[in-house]
Amino acid sequence: MATTDDSAGAWFGSDGQVSQLRGLLFKAGCLGATLLALFLVFVFLVYVAVDAIEPGTADPAWWATVAATVAVPAVALAAYYYRYDPRAGEVAYTAVGLPIAATLLAGGVGIVFRHIVSPHEWLALVVAALVAYGALEVHDRVRRAGAFERAAIGAIVLVVTIVGLPGLVPSLRSLILSLPVLPMAPLSLLGTFVVPVALAVGWYVRRERESERAGLIAGGATVAAAALGAVAGPVAGVSWTTWLILTTVVGVPVGLYVERVLSGGEGVSGLALPVALAAGVVVCAVVVETAGFTGPDVWLDWEFLTNAHNRTPREAGIYPALVGSVMMIIVVALAAFPVGVGAAIYLEEYAPTGGLLGSFVELVEINIANLAGVPSVVYGLLGLALFINAGGLQPGIVIVGGLTVALLILPIVIVSAQEAIRAVPDSQRQAAYGMGATRWQTVRTVVLPRAMPGILTGTILALGRAIGETAPLLMVGVAAVVRISPTSFFGLFSAMPRQLYSWAQLAKPDFYHGVLAAGVLVLLIVLLMMNGTAILLRNKYQRRD
Amino acid sequence: MADNQFGRDAVSRRKFIAATGAVGAVALAGCSETSDEDGDGELSGQVIVKGSSTVFPISDEMAQRFMEEYPKVNVTTDSTGSGGGFENHFCPGDADINGASRPIKSEEEDHCAENDVTPMEMHIAGDALTVAVSPDNDWVDSMTFDELAQIWGDDSATLWSDVNSDWPDKELELYGPDTTSGTYDWFTENVNGGSHRTEYEGTEDDNTIIQGLENSPYAMGYFGYAYYSENEDRVKALDIAESESDDPASPSLPAAKDGTYPLARPLFVYPSEEAVQREPVYEFMKFYLENSNADWIADEVGYVPANQDMVDENMSALESAAGE
Repeated sequence: MATTDDSAGAWFGSDGQVSQLRGLLFKAGCLGATLLALFLVFVFLVYVAVDAIEPGTADPAWWATVAATVAVPAVALAAYYYRYDPRAGEVAYTAVGLPIAATLLAGGVGIVFRHIVSPHEWLALVVAALVAYGALEVHDRVRRAGAFERAAIGAIVLVVTIVGLPGLVPSLRSLILSLPVLPMAPLSLLGTFVVPVALAVGWYVRRERESERAGLIAGGATVAAAALGAVAGPVAGVSWTTWLILTTVVGVPVGLYVERVLSGGEGVSGLALPVALAAGVVVCAVVVETAGFTGPDVWLDWEFLTNAHNRTPREAGIYPALVGSVMMIIVVALAAFPVGVGAAIYLEEYAPTGGLLGSFVELVEINIANLAGVPSVVYGLLGLALFINAGGLQPGIVIVGGLTVALLILPIVIVSAQEAIRAVPDSQRQAAYGMGATRWQTVRTVVLPRAMPGILTGTILALGRAIGETAPLLMVGVAAVVRISPTSFFGLFSAMPRQLYSWAQLAKPDFYHGVLAAGVLVLLIVLLMMNGTAILLRNKYQRRD
Repeated sequence: MADNQFGRDAVSRRKFIAATGAVGAVALAGCSETSDEDGDGELSGQVIVKGSSTVFPISDEMAQRFMEEYPKVNVTTDSTGSGGGFENHFCPGDADINGASRPIKSEEEDHCAENDVTPMEMHIAGDALTVAVSPDNDWVDSMTFDELAQIWGDDSATLWSDVNSDWPDKELELYGPDTTSGTYDWFTENVNGGSHRTEYEGTEDDNTIIQGLENSPYAMGYFGYAYYSENEDRVKALDIAESESDDPASPSLPAAKDGTYPLARPLFVYPSEEAVQREPVYEFMKFYLENSNADWIADEVGYVPANQDMVDENMSALESAAGE
């Protein structure tokens, strides 16, 4: 784009041209960097995927069938959307992604109800929480008490209903658990998991549609679909509990989305893509079955997700490590979030800014930022010294692993939360003060609500780093092979990256090619889910501005 | 609940409580079950195995087979190196059993005694320590202890030709186990005569050694037979003679068993006397010892199984320790 404007020509010199060479070189350099980065990541992903799926072991006819029944229709539909109906393309994108993401989430919920809170524990917890809430509400109506009394009553109610005093007063929760007769596990979940979700759905639909009836139908349908599992579950070959979780976690969001698209009337044709894909898969399965084409020898299959490690590579799986990672992440989140956000709030809102103390605070902040770059092995040693040698906890248990990794991500959580709090405009704080709000009221009602999406995004990204950490786990004695999923936070566990590391060391080549690659894919999918959540939160937040 | 003041939520809350109550009542009245109790009588608990990466494959296979019989006993296995296991896990009392590819050292016994941990030595298998080079290496097929000691004993040899003038004038690339490894200790003691060079690539991961050998024709390394048996086509194992006058023998399990292979060495597990008082550890050790002469140790793991005398001796030691 030569500058040929006559009036500017004189200014640039006699030939009227500005040398573009440097600019072009810079552009080419940037392009090269981008391509190199993409190429390296892409090669790695392809390498892992090939190891995990082994496409070479399948019949060419199998691939041809897949292409003809699934790939070609999908590409054709995508081309159609792109050319004629972009809105439908967006719908198609979401309609394919939502069920997949929801199914993965359902897997997570399933793990939670299977290993972390049993349906009965959940029932007891919910009932106890309801009683606690009711008691506080009654107290609120009967007496207009001061802040101190309310806090004290709240604490007492919490202790009596949920926590209990060990050895002295059993909590309501543990009393419920010790009842001789409890409803069956799926029924407990129906009452305490499905019904609350159904109420939320009903409330949401009623507000969206401004119709009492629509809300009732939506809520009722949710419960009915879940209850149907008592009969339909065994017919479909799954337990009622599985059915119940699937209908609630997968069925509800998909149903709501489809309903919204249909009633909105925009981009309805986008819904054809998931249908075409599903139909394609069914047709493909039938053709492959009747013609007898052999598919690829995939490592990443259902057995891999549900088995424990096995000395025979084909039978090895990642399940206990997956459960261990989920439990560890819960510990990490519960430990790092309150501490990190609390520290960030103090540093941003309360800490002195001027004078000697202000310089000291600045020094602390610089050190926190530096801590984010300390190698993870060092945090492993810190965890070993702090929790095992000084704290006397057993090595290799969930709580030790989780707390150690929580230490590791704490600086990241603090720094990102600080950034989010700093991004709240000062004018809003001043406005709150101007209306007579105290500093606590300002922080609670103005700063935190505005900063929360940013804080959550930062925390989730930090948790994404936490789930991939290996070195700290090695240092705190997480074993190479654990075949039983932990049943409590004080149980021995293995996490996904630790399991991958031990597979990489085994003698059989099948372990460090196939099994390892399948494990890497599982870890990547979990990471993708977490980062996706962070991106969704950020987008929602940005749109609101 | 931000909408409270508009009165919209009041309805939903009342309904929420009513609906939950109704469903709960139906659930309670409809069908119910007694709260399930743990199936008692079945053995449960945990057994923690640490130690040598050489013994790890046997212990792990044992754990897998044991847990098929006792699915509620959580046997976790780990490879930390013989020394690392004694130092960091077993002697502090955090592990029940430690695998070792060399006998326990006296300072380790002292460390254990400080923490009231009493290790019991149990010889459970044999290994044919394998010295290997790259498959592209065409100048050497066998070595004597003397040549091995020249290469591995100290840092003086840097070129292949330093050891034998017929060998190429190329740099030695040496891969071996880490200093925490029992394999390192055994090799130092029995081949080098007490010293070990420091300039070599030391690793806990034997696959790293295999990869190193595969990638360079001038590389050399040593590791347990199990890794060799899984990778026979990727590296070339050297025949070993104790001295010039002996016939070199190639590494194999039969040769290790009858003593004709000079680098045959014993493998141990060390349960602590305190741990075997616990039912799960006792049962696991019993299972371990009873199976230590099984054929699958040779076929599937790649070590020499124990003979009946060793099994009997270990069993009587276990019984007397547990019977205290």
